[in-house]
Amino acid sequence: MIKRILLQAFAIVAICALPGKLTAQNGKLILKFVHLANEKKIIRNDSVYSTPNGEPYTISKLRYYVSEIGSGKPSRNIFLVDAFGPDSIEMKLPAGHYQQLSFLLGVDSLLNCSGAQDGALDPLKDMFWTWNSGYVMFKLEGKSDSSHADLNRIEQHIGGYKGENKTMRRITLNLPEKLVIDQKKTHTVVIEVDLDKYWNKASISANPVIVIPGTLAKRAADNFPLMFRVKSIL
Amino acid sequence: MTLVVALMAALLGAAKDDGFGPYKPTPLKLSIPKGWPKPNSDIFAKNKLTEEGFELGRKLFYDGNLSKDGATSCGSCHQQFAAFSTYDHDLSHGINNTFTDRNAPSLVNLAWMTSYHWDGGINHIEVQPLSPITAHNEMGETLENIIAKLNADSSYSRYFKAAFGDKAITSQRILKALAQFTGSLISSNSRYDQWKNGTLKFTPVEESGYALYKANCSSCHREPLFTDNSFHNNGLPLNRFGDAGRQRITGLSSDSLKFKVPSLRNVQYSVPYMHDGRFNDLDKVITHYTSGINYLQPTLDSILQKPIVFTERQKLELIYFLYTLTDTSFTKNKRFAPAQPITIKH
Ligand code: HEC
Ligand code: HEC
Repeated sequence: MIKRILLQAFAIVAICALPGKLTAQNGKLILKFVHLANEKKIIRNDSVYSTPNGEPYTISKLRYYVSEIGSGKPSRNIFLVDAFGPDSIEMKLPAGHYQQLSFLLGVDSLLNCSGAQDGALDPLKDMFWTWNSGYVMFKLEGKSDSSHADLNRIEQHIGGYKGENKTMRRITLNLPEKLVIDQKKTHTVVIEVDLDKYWNKASISANPVIVIPGTLAKRAADNFPLMFRVKSIL
Repeated sequence: MTLVVALMAALLGAAKDDGFGPYKPTPLKLSIPKGWPKPNSDIFAKNKLTEEGFELGRKLFYDGNLSKDGATSCGSCHQQFAAFSTYDHDLSHGINNTFTDRNAPSLVNLAWMTSYHWDGGINHIEVQPLSPITAHNEMGETLENIIAKLNADSSYSRYFKAAFGDKAITSQRILKALAQFTGSLISSNSRYDQWKNGTLKFTPVEESGYALYKANCSSCHREPLFTDNSFHNNGLPLNRFGDAGRQRITGLSSDSLKFKVPSLRNVQYSVPYMHDGRFNDLDKVITHYTSGINYLQPTLDSILQKPIVFTERQKLELIYFLYTLTDTSFTKNKRFAPAQPITIKH
């Protein structure tokens, strides 16, 4: 008990009372994700977009995990980005000059099989498969006249964390200018997420619904690195 | 610095005072029966097993509020007297007059398992409850609603505080507490165990049955847990639901019709048998192994390729041996029973 109190007290002291030391090497960074389809910012439900091979679709949901952010040393932070909800994420990174920005789209294997998690990984977030354990790394839902599924649904739940069927992908982005992370200024990196690229070599009429790990999910995940690019640093 | 620490401690203490007294959980140790291997998954490494966590888990396990209709608790399908299977039902009843897709297995020695469900689709005991809770033909509920309902039930504050240090009700705590209860369901005191420990003698019939088991069944239903935690096709014809078992999870045709080997402990009480409850007594099970196996299935286990031949007497001997795996100190253990009577649908 005493040990617990001491530990808690120390943690608080370490974060908020000790100037310098720990925090000096960290700076804050904000990543803002802007989601585009057909070069326009996506709108929920009401706009019809077209895949590269001309299939029309609307979007009702777009969420995905972003984790291990940083260049070099990955951080333990895990975020759930929601195109129609919180689309900016804020984190601490080691101070320094960054030429590139790298993150994992998805959740590390181990966290897929370590029991009940909290925070962004809370199964409440509806991103955990209940009958075939593991996280949905990327979820896109909507409708399309090209979909033969019930109610013309599109359900792209891309997940799978084991061996061959892994769907998390490391995304490494070149920065248009050097990014300085320090305590003085919190920069925002604006990242464009291009959904046209998600449909690269994919077709709604062939696979409107992907809700299990396997070849289809893996092929969809191979498009993840094509989708992201840095627009600007603010 | 000392002052700061003292102040912090005082503040933390004050913030946590909710009238239920200090947080002092009683640690429990998962006792590993003599001669058993270590549990496969160290399920309590990140979920400290305590008396208070177990008690909360037991309360949740028997609480119908975890389901949409308020009456379909875990315990309504997993009945203690049936070794936590659904007694005498091939399929169990979910909410709104639905049926489950599969037979409810007994819940026994889960801490030694490496995956859960007949197809092994569940990779950790803590996330298992998400499946029955959300399935429309089981409990049909959402975590949001459950948390709201438990928050509205004043009896829970005390339990969460005692188990986790404060009253907050989160999905993680619900799942961890349930795992403390289900992971503690250990059955290791059958006649067979007492015979192994040298405290009693088998009858000659039981001994012959044991020899038949050793020769024909033990490679998959391996001692002392009576499962090898693996997936095999034991030659059952495809059922009316087209349930391909393990293939549903791996997508591999080589896994077609493979199912997780169920433990045979308390098999006398976990009737009916197999993933769809197709056999309603042990005689039919053994007759399956002697004359029901579909030898044309490409994934049929190699061990079963050679036909098993039993005389009628041998069948009985084997059944008498299977009865020695019955552990009434488990099926009647008050620690595992509901604190109050619960609803069970028939
Ligand atoms: C409506 C009936 C029903 C309810 C309610 C129910 N279960 Fe089950 N349970 C089943 C069935 C059926 C299976 C087999 C599922 C499968 O293999 O696909 C099962 C399997 C399991 C298993 C896996 C056992 C093994 O050996 O692999 C565990 C553990 C379990 N249930 C615990 C629970 C808990 C905890 C709850 C409450 C949160 C619960 N069950 C609620 C019917 C039910
Ligand atoms: C090749 C592995 C293998 C062998 C050998 C084997 N079994 Fe099984 N057994 C299984 C599998 C797998 C299941 C589950 C099958 C299913 O439900 O589809 C099972 C199910 C059972 C069940 C049903 C248990 C329940 O709770 O539903 C019983 C009883 C059983 N076996 C007894 C035996 C006996 C007795 C023998 C020896 C004559 C034997 N088994 C040999 C793999 C095997």
